[in-house]
Amino acid sequence: MTAIDDAGQAPMDVTDALDAAHKSIEYMYERGWTDGLPVVPATRELVDEFLATTSRPADEVIGQLEHLKRQVSVELAAVNAVMAGCRPEYFPVVLAAWDALMAERSTVGGGWQSTSGPAPLIVVNGPVRERLGFNSTGGVFGPGFRANATVARAIGLIVRNALGVVPHVLEQATQGIPGRWAMCIAENEEESPWEPFSVDGGVAAGSDAVSTTLLRTSEFVDNRNTDDPELLLSDFADTLSRTGSWLFKHASAGVVFCPEHAQLLAKAGMSKDDVRTWLLERCGRPKADLARAGKAVRAGNIGAVRTEDDTGDFERLFADNSPKNLPIIVAGARNAGISMVVRVFSSWAGIAARIEPPLDGGRG
Amino acid sequence: MFDRILDPTGLSAGTATVATSAGRVPTLVGTRVGLLSNTKKNAAQMLTEIGRLLESRYGAVVTIQRTKPNVAWPVDEPMLNEIKAVSDVVVAGVGDCGSCSASAAADGIAFERAGLPTAVICSDAFEVTARAMAEVHGDKDFEFLLTPHPVAVLTEAQVAQRAEDLAAVVAGRLCEAAR
Repeated sequence: MTAIDDAGQAPMDVTDALDAAHKSIEYMYERGWTDGLPVVPATRELVDEFLATTSRPADEVIGQLEHLKRQVSVELAAVNAVMAGCRPEYFPVVLAAWDALMAERSTVGGGWQSTSGPAPLIVVNGPVRERLGFNSTGGVFGPGFRANATVARAIGLIVRNALGVVPHVLEQATQGIPGRWAMCIAENEEESPWEPFSVDGGVAAGSDAVSTTLLRTSEFVDNRNTDDPELLLSDFADTLSRTGSWLFKHASAGVVFCPEHAQLLAKAGMSKDDVRTWLLERCGRPKADLARAGKAVRAGNIGAVRTEDDTGDFERLFADNSPKNLPIIVAGARNAGISMVVRVFSSWAGIAARIEPPLDGGRG
Repeated sequence: MFDRILDPTGLSAGTATVATSAGRVPTLVGTRVGLLSNTKKNAAQMLTEIGRLLESRYGAVVTIQRTKPNVAWPVDEPMLNEIKAVSDVVVAGVGDCGSCSASAAADGIAFERAGLPTAVICSDAFEVTARAMAEVHGDKDFEFLLTPHPVAVLTEAQVAQRAEDLAAVVAGRLCEAAR
C-alpha cells in the first residue's frame, strides 16, 4: 500500500483504511475490551496465525475462576494476545507465562479481585530471550521493548476480558501497583554469576522457560558505596524489613539484583543460597518496632498491639531461606549498583513453565 | 464493518437473571439461625453479636456458626448442607474485601436457592463488587445489607455497636413480620 500514487494524489482506499483503523480502535474501547490503551483488532486470520504457533488445541481450557463462572481457552488467550500487540511467535511465551501463573495459589483464589491490586512479575529465561528480542539489560522493567511489554499486557487483558475481572467492578484494588500488567523481564543470564532463575523452578539452564509470581510492589536499593558483601546485603535487609509491608507473621520478598551487585556477592564466594541464608537471619524487626507501627505478630498473623508481650524479641521476616520465599533474579545493565526488592503477594509457587519450541523448528 | 473483530470475553448472550428468594419465615420466635463468617477480621465477632441479639430480642435460636475455608470462594456444598440441616435462616458476612464481598453475595444467593432466607452483610465500600457478583450468580437484584466501611479496624465495643445497628434490618430481611 502506498500513501501517494503516481499522480501525487492520496488514493481513497488508504484514507479509508486508516479511518477504519481509528474507528475499530474506538469500537473496542466502547465494548470495554481495553486496559485504557488502544488495542489491536483480533481477526480470525490473525488469531489463527497465533494458534499455529502451538500444538495445543484451541479449545483447551487453560484457566478458570469457578466462583466467577468464567474460563479462558487457548483461543481466547490468543485473541487477547493479538489485542495486546503481541507478534504470533510470542504466543508460546504468553501460554507458558499463563501456565506458570495458574500454578500460583493466589491466582486461582481471589488474588485478581484483591484490594492489594497485585500484578505478575514475569521472568523469561533461555535462548528465547534473544530469539524474540526480550530485554534483559538496561531499563529491564520497561517500557520500550515490544516482547516484554506485550506479553505482560496480554496477561492483563486475559484477566480483564476472559476472566471478567474489571477494575471498579469485580476488581477492587485500593490503589494497585505501579507497573501493573507491564512487568515482564528477561534474566540477564550472560552477566549473572549464578545459575538461571528457571533452575530454581525446575527447568534446566539453556531451556526456554517462564516463571511468574504476583507482586505488591517493587523498591530500589541504590548502593554504589561499598565493595563489602555484608555491608551491601545490610542495605537490602533494611529495605526488605520495613514494617509497612508486614501483614502476616512471615512475608515473601525477592531481589532482582543488577549484574554489579550480583557479581560483587559472587566474587566474595556467595551463591544464591548463601545470600538467602544471610538475609533470612538478618531480615526482620524487634517486636518493639512493629509495636510502634501498631502491629503485633499473633497466631500467624498481624494484629493490633495489646499486651506487653508484643514488644521485645526479634521477629524474622522470612519463614525460611527457600527460593519460594526469597526468589533471586539477575537483570538490568552493568552500569550501576541499582537493584530492586520485589514484594511477593503470597509466595512464589517455585515452578517454571517450559516454553513450547517453534513448531517449524525455525526462527519462531 | 466490525463483525470481523473477535470478542475477547468468551461470553455469549448475557445470563438471564432468575429471582431466587426463599419465602421469609413467619416469625423469628424459635427460628433456627445459622451464622456463616468468612475469615475477615471482626466478621465472626459481628455475626456472633448479631446472633445474640436475634436470640434476646426476637426469640430466635443460633444453632450453628461456621467459617468458610476460603475467603474468596462461595460456600461449598458440604458446608451449605451442614448449615441447612440445622437452620431456618442464615446470616452471612462480613464482606470487607475485594473477593470476599463478592463471594458473600454468592453465598446469600446459594442459601436462598436452598430455601433459606439469608441476610448478607457487606461493607458499603464493596457494594459495587457484591452487586456484580450477584449478577454473575444469576440474581442481580439480590438484596444485601450494608454496614459503613471500615470494619477490620473496629474495637470490640464498636463491633457490638455495629451489630446493634444492624440487628433490626437483619431481622427484617429474614422475617417480614419483624419489619
